[in-house]
Amino acid sequence: MTMAELETLTGSWDELLFADGTPRPAAAALIVQLQGMGTAELQERQNLAELDILGMGITFTVYSDGRGTDRAWPFDIIPRIIEAAEWRRIEAGLVQRLGALNRFIDDLYHDRNVIKDGIVPASIVESSPNYRPECAGVSPRFGVWAHICGTDLVRGGDGTVFVLEDNLRVPSGVSYMLQNRAISKRAFADVFREQSILPVDDYPMRLRRLLLSLAPDERAGRPPTIAVLTPGVFNSAYFEHVFLAQAMGAALVEGADLYVDRQDRLLMRTIGGPEPVDVIYRRVDDAFLDPEVFRADSMLGVPGLMRAWRAGNVAIANAPGAGVADDKVVYSWVPDLIRYYLNEEPILANVPTYRCGDPDELAFVMANAHELVLKPANESGGYGITVGNRVTSEQLATAVATVQAEPRNWIAQPIVALSTAPTLCDGRIAPRHLDLRPFVLSGEDTYVTTGGLTRVALVEGSLIVNSSQGGGSKDTWVVEVA
Amino acid sequence: MLLSRVAANLYWAARYLERAEGTARVVREHTSLFMDVPQSLQLSWDPLLAVCGVEDVFEASSAAPTEETIVEFLVSDLDNAGSIRSSVGRARENLRSAREAFPASAWVVVNDLYLYVESHVAEGVHRRSRDRFLASVITEHQRLLGVMASMMTRDDAYTMLRLGRHVERADMTSRVLDVRAGQLLSRRAAATELYDDLQWMSMLRSLSAAQMYQRQSLLDGGSQGPIGFVLHQEAFPRSVRYCLGAARQSAAHLPNPEMTVAACDRALDLVNNIRLTSLDAAALHWTSDQMQLAIATIHNAISTSYFPASSA
Repeated sequence: MTMAELETLTGSWDELLFADGTPRPAAAALIVQLQGMGTAELQERQNLAELDILGMGITFTVYSDGRGTDRAWPFDIIPRIIEAAEWRRIEAGLVQRLGALNRFIDDLYHDRNVIKDGIVPASIVESSPNYRPECAGVSPRFGVWAHICGTDLVRGGDGTVFVLEDNLRVPSGVSYMLQNRAISKRAFADVFREQSILPVDDYPMRLRRLLLSLAPDERAGRPPTIAVLTPGVFNSAYFEHVFLAQAMGAALVEGADLYVDRQDRLLMRTIGGPEPVDVIYRRVDDAFLDPEVFRADSMLGVPGLMRAWRAGNVAIANAPGAGVADDKVVYSWVPDLIRYYLNEEPILANVPTYRCGDPDELAFVMANAHELVLKPANESGGYGITVGNRVTSEQLATAVATVQAEPRNWIAQPIVALSTAPTLCDGRIAPRHLDLRPFVLSGEDTYVTTGGLTRVALVEGSLIVNSSQGGGSKDTWVVEVA
Repeated sequence: MLLSRVAANLYWAARYLERAEGTARVVREHTSLFMDVPQSLQLSWDPLLAVCGVEDVFEASSAAPTEETIVEFLVSDLDNAGSIRSSVGRARENLRSAREAFPASAWVVVNDLYLYVESHVAEGVHRRSRDRFLASVITEHQRLLGVMASMMTRDDAYTMLRLGRHVERADMTSRVLDVRAGQLLSRRAAATELYDDLQWMSMLRSLSAAQMYQRQSLLDGGSQGPIGFVLHQEAFPRSVRYCLGAARQSAAHLPNPEMTVAACDRALDLVNNIRLTSLDAAALHWTSDQMQLAIATIHNAISTSYFPASSA
């Protein structure tokens, strides 16, 4: 491999390379080492990493024909690198953003000043499917509702980092971030010795500390118990649920393991009889959490869980109803929310967003759909998205008609030419588009993972990074430049 | 603290894995014996079905009972819930949703075993590669037991695994005795006596008891005999008495142990009272039936005391 073989893509920012193919300062040491290795050895290390993944059973589940199938976690061996100085700015931006979002959610379920003051229209909040009137008046500790957030960041062609979306319901991927580091340390043991790459491993302990800090005080002297609530083995993120439960020493429970008694206490069924649960880290969506309150047909939840939560007998992370701020229409107001609650200018920018529920903006979207990304306001996993310049005119017309039918549930954004990084594809190195999902823990204070999960679109030219749709992942190195 | 659901998963996984290993041992030993005895002895493969307790299921499959069909049925047939492949697959499914309760490195071994069986199972059927495959299944399971033994806290989760393993092992040993020793006790023709020693040793080997039996018989002048050894030798970890004792000891560590301990005590009484001197084939068969009923009672006690109502 020579320098000349490291390509960049015109119009896209490369995370490791300048446009002329020379390495950025934080990536210089890695590039030198990659060159010393050559593509053949790199491929060999990639193959070994894939064997590790299989042997360690690092999988995710994809759904086809109505049943789930386990696939080995797709991983690219070449890391994505962020300079530490830039990372500190992003970190500050995320702390700021989550501060405002939690204030917003708490406000919505209490005094609703944000609506009274005319910042966000009541109609937008009330029409959000993730707004839960059942949560009104509840006061989770520290005023925090979104304890765990996965924020998707992308970088445009000029190098600007944008927030693409806030995932405040049950964001997943953090275990893959940790596993990617474990694999990468094996694959590049020699490289790690030579550089100061900041560690990522403290996440599970931070999460555990956060969850413990939420435990109700009334425990009759017992130490608090925490449990991870999973929908079960068929969930696409089951691997992660297991991983986090293991790393925290917590019980991994399914709905059927729990029940709520007449005193509104949450109990789990153990071989020694019922045992109280103080904190639930739930990986089950709001709608399935409690059939008494939400979907009555849910088999995944626990009847009475909302009663126990409202009575203050159990803490739930993330709190029910937190997803209201996850709505992509609400997202478009986040910069205003930062100014409103914190009296600060946003450190991280939003991607410019058109609200299709606004007639003028809808007209603009319809006229310019071929240059826009159309996104449903309340989907996740990359489902339902139309990239205007990647589809046929018939497909685009169908998508636009869908938007017109329910404009409140759609937004449109300019197509961001996602940044790239060199990626090993079929034995050669080529630029591939990627994003970044850092994880933010909010409680008494706020913690941001060092870097996050880098997701990469393995198909040439593709902008879809979701692992459920052919995306892969990379280890993310935050590197101090001397 | 152990969830009832997880307790059931661990117990069943331990049983399935022990069953896979036990099946691997008996198939391996039978294949080896088959190569040693003359065709005139008409050694058949049917007893393997009886040892594994799956004669009815095999008959229902309406396959002709040949070496190929029987070994395939026991090793790779997914329609046989007790085949090595089914057992390993079910053990993995059970452990998959109990992973917070045991060391992560044990899951790596379970996964290795599963991947190995899935990709090599055909080799377990062909006679030429069979031994290597079965030996690997045994070794991988032993590796798992090693990881559990050296890395896992002696908590309720560990106890459930230990309980499942010993219940299954006692069951397997009693069935091997019933079928293999029963044959030897009933067949007394001169032409076959020549091979009796060979067959007694074969029975011991299919329980991995041969070497330890030989050591013991030098010490006690052979007074215990092979049947006595696998039934009563309390120092040998695969004897019925040892397994039931280990199950009892495990159960005593658990909450609400009364029912399970009582069932273990009844099974131990039964085994301790078997008089070897008067044992003929019919008596052995009757005794084995009683043992298996007693073991089933232990299982039911565990299930009733600890498992969620739906999985009992």
